[in-house]
Formats: sequence, structure tokens, C-alpha cells
Amino acid sequence: MHVPDGFLAPQLTLPAYAVSAPLWAWAARRHFGPASVESLPVVGSLTALAFVVQTILIPVPGGTSIHLVGVTLLAILQGPLAAFVCESLVLLVQALFFGVGGITVLGVNALAMGLLGPLVGWLAWKAVRPLSERAALFLAGWASTQVASLAVAGVLALQHRLDPGYFPVPPAVTLAAMLVPSLAVAGVVEGLYTVLALSLLRRARLRGVEA
Amino acid sequence: MRSCRTGVVAIAVALTIAPALASAHETLHEVRRGSAISVKAFESDGDPLDDRPYEIFSPADPRTPWQRGHTDRAGWLAFVPDVAGRWRVKVFEEGGHGLDLEIDASAPAVAGAPSAGGGAVATAAFVLRPVVGIAIIGAVFAALVLVYRRKRSDR
Repeated sequence: MHVPDGFLAPQLTLPAYAVSAPLWAWAARRHFGPASVESLPVVGSLTALAFVVQTILIPVPGGTSIHLVGVTLLAILQGPLAAFVCESLVLLVQALFFGVGGITVLGVNALAMGLLGPLVGWLAWKAVRPLSERAALFLAGWASTQVASLAVAGVLALQHRLDPGYFPVPPAVTLAAMLVPSLAVAGVVEGLYTVLALSLLRRARLRGVEA
Repeated sequence: MRSCRTGVVAIAVALTIAPALASAHETLHEVRRGSAISVKAFESDGDPLDDRPYEIFSPADPRTPWQRGHTDRAGWLAFVPDVAGRWRVKVFEEGGHGLDLEIDASAPAVAGAPSAGGGAVATAAFVLRPVVGIAIIGAVFAALVLVYRRKRSDR
């Protein structure tokens, strides 16, 4: 799902940084200040877990593969802004040490996978939670994946429209390639992961797992 | 006698030029080994990016693609650089993944040597990546906790 360096022009990457930077500062002050020292070990562990699940590629028909994002769980436990910072850290580590994604596109990837997806997942969880906790968790994971995929596909389609030299694949092909596996496989797996992981964490009765 | 000599010269000239004219309509080929740079595009689990569109940009004209095509079934593409310098290779995956790398064409190619990111390297990277990632992220959060605890104890 990560957009690599060189696929998006500065006219998209710079505004993404302009939106992300103040949100990073605000979220870091709010969720990662001295008052959060007790919950940091759990949040750090879940961030590391998100990194690991993002390295596991699940092959899907059509010659491509998908991976989980894993930060909807953090959005439910700590709030969407905390998830945004954690996913941004994951993306930064991937870009700096493993050549996945990239620095110029960090703002775009972070907004799509770290903010928009988890925010919609968190809202879905809040809305459905009174009816069924498990259904709400599953829906949160599923919706989060669809929104993140749609956001990345939308940015790539916009880039194609602005300057196909950066990304020559037509928008219809990009949308189909991203949304079909996302709707059919990735969303379902992310939903199941969210349900399973949160139920295990609650059984463990860890600090920072009060949601 | 003079007209006969002129006719012979005309026929001789015609016979000399004829093969040259014929060869202008002939497609020739040259086989040269060891001069191409080949790039394999694959995912971290080893799956090749097969039949994906790619573009190659020459250092002489970084804006116009010098070569376009699709990777083969094993994820390979190849090109023969005609100038030294940093060539840019972009491989597009419809899902937004892909490659954007620069290759130094002046570096000598070593025949038969495994490419950077070959099978063994890819396997090691696939195994090591989660471990290294956990270590880095763990170090960041551990540093935060230590700093906050030290500040608290200083008060």
C-alpha cells in the first residue's frame, strides 16, 4: 500500500507534509508527553507489532500481494492521533532502513494509512460498539483498510491526472488493483486481526488497554 | 566502341551500388554479451513483479523515458546504457508499490556475480527486517520512557 519515492510530484508531497507536520506536533504533545509514561511500553509494543504485520505479505490472485496495517488497534486504544504518530514512526523506519515507501512521500503515506484509515475505523467502532463489540472491532479494521486503500489509490490517480510522467498507470487500473484485494481479502484479515489482538490484550490486562 | 565502353562502366557501377541499396532494406543484428544491465524487481517475500510496466531514464535526458516496457515473467528488465552516469529505473505496480532506483552505469559489471538483492540477500532481509524494526521502534519508546522517568526522579 505504501507509495514509493519518485511516484508523486512535490505538488502533492509538499501539501501532505504541510498537513502532517502540525498534526504530528499536536499528537506527540498530547499522547507522548511525560504524562503518558505508563502507557508507552504497551503503545511501543503495539507499534512494533504493526511494523511486523506490515512486513508479512499475503499473496492474492492477480500477481499482487497485500499486507495488514495494524494501527486501527492503536486508534481504538489510544485515539486516532496516537495511531497517526505510531504509523508515521513505522513508515519512517521502513523508509530509512529498508527502502520501503520513502521520505518524500512520508506525509502522503502517513495521512492515508496512519490517519484517514484509523480515524474512519475508530469512528465505525464508536458507532457500532453499542450493538456488538466484536462486530464493531471487525468493522473498524475492515473500514480502516478500505479508506486507506482508497486514499492511496486516489492520490495515485490524481498524480496520473496532474502528470502521468510520475505515475503512468491509468486510474481505473490503480483503483481496481488496490480496491478489489482490499475489499475481498485485506479488509477481512485486518478486521479479524483487530478482533483477535484486542481480545488477547484485554485478557492480558495490560496498562494502556482500557478501551 | 566508346558507347560499348560506357555501357560496361555503367553496368559495373550498377553492380557495385546494387548490394548497398539492397542492404538498406535489410534488418541486421549484433549479439554482444556482458554489456547490458539487468534489474530484477521483486517483493520482500521473493515474488517477482512480473509483467509490470517500467521506464528507464538516461542521464543524458532525465525527463524523457529512454526505454519503456514490461518486466518479464521472472520480474527482470534489461537495458544497454549508451552513456556513463546514473540511469534511473522506475517499475510501476498498479497497487502503488514499485521501484524507483538509480543505477551507476559506469560501475563495471561482474559477469556471473549475484545482483544486489539476489535470492540469498532477499531471504536474509525478509527474516531480519522484523527483528531490526522491532529493535529500532523498541529503542525509540524505551528512550522516551527513560527520559520521562529521569525527569520525574529529578523533581
